[in-house]
Amino acid sequence: MTTERLTRCAVLAALALAFSYLESMFPLPLPLPGVKLGLANIVTVFALYALGAAEAAAILLVRVLLGAMFAGNATALLYSLLGGFSALLAMLLLRRCAPLSVYGVSVGGAAAHNCGQIGAALLLLGSAAPLAYLPALLLVSLFTGALTGFIAALLFRAMANTNLMKP
Amino acid sequence: MTKVPELKPTRGDALVAAAVLLLAAVCALRFWTPMAADAGAPEVVVAVGGEEVERLPLRGAERRYTNNGYTVHVVVTDSGVRVADADCPTRDCVRTGAISRAGQSIVCLPARITVTLVGGGGGGYDAVAG
Repeated sequence: MTTERLTRCAVLAALALAFSYLESMFPLPLPLPGVKLGLANIVTVFALYALGAAEAAAILLVRVLLGAMFAGNATALLYSLLGGFSALLAMLLLRRCAPLSVYGVSVGGAAAHNCGQIGAALLLLGSAAPLAYLPALLLVSLFTGALTGFIAALLFRAMANTNLMKP
Repeated sequence: MTKVPELKPTRGDALVAAAVLLLAAVCALRFWTPMAADAGAPEVVVAVGGEEVERLPLRGAERRYTNNGYTVHVVVTDSGVRVADADCPTRDCVRTGAISRAGQSIVCLPARITVTLVGGGGGGYDAVAG
């Protein structure tokens, strides 16, 4: 890994951390646990295309670990880890397997994020009760995924002619 | 070749959205349908850390449960149950409001406490857990 690449990863990890912190200050006014815009996922989408899968995973891991440390909440770590890596895995597969735009990848990632978080809740609570939240969370993820997809599309459009996006 | 992805929505995107909707619908059908609704008087089942600790009839009652460093204040009325107060940071359980139908539940993630309404006569809860 070159210094340049490492620096890009570090900057994106810091950006993702800032996004997730920003988000935690403005919760969506919905009575659903774990519902959020998923702004940090924009960074994951961007890193996935601009840098690669390994880099996106590293950025995600740094963001999740530092985020839990800053929030001082070890329980939240499992939710963020399972949610974040479910989203990354889903977006990796969707990017490979189907002719999708950044919108489809983003929506798939948002939905997978919610599934991962519910999975974490199932593990922690040892009961099926959290599954009742999944339908509503999935519906919300259609909108939040499309919104973050839109922002990612704007970002890619703006960055298309920079060095970062050259093969 | 550039690393910029397709930026306009495609037909594949619609498929992804449809798949998410389908998954939501399947989950909704599975978990929102009232289970064993007429099997008896509805009961409130409180589970702490995944283990059932108390069953309450739908009759005026107040309970406080503490787990994981957080306390939730559960209020049962004749028509339903709600979490009136909680000292966790997110308070999603309070914002959920009152539940009144069998199969519904209130989840407090930080405290790992669930409050579920079952259709009474037992069985309802097991039907949810599948």
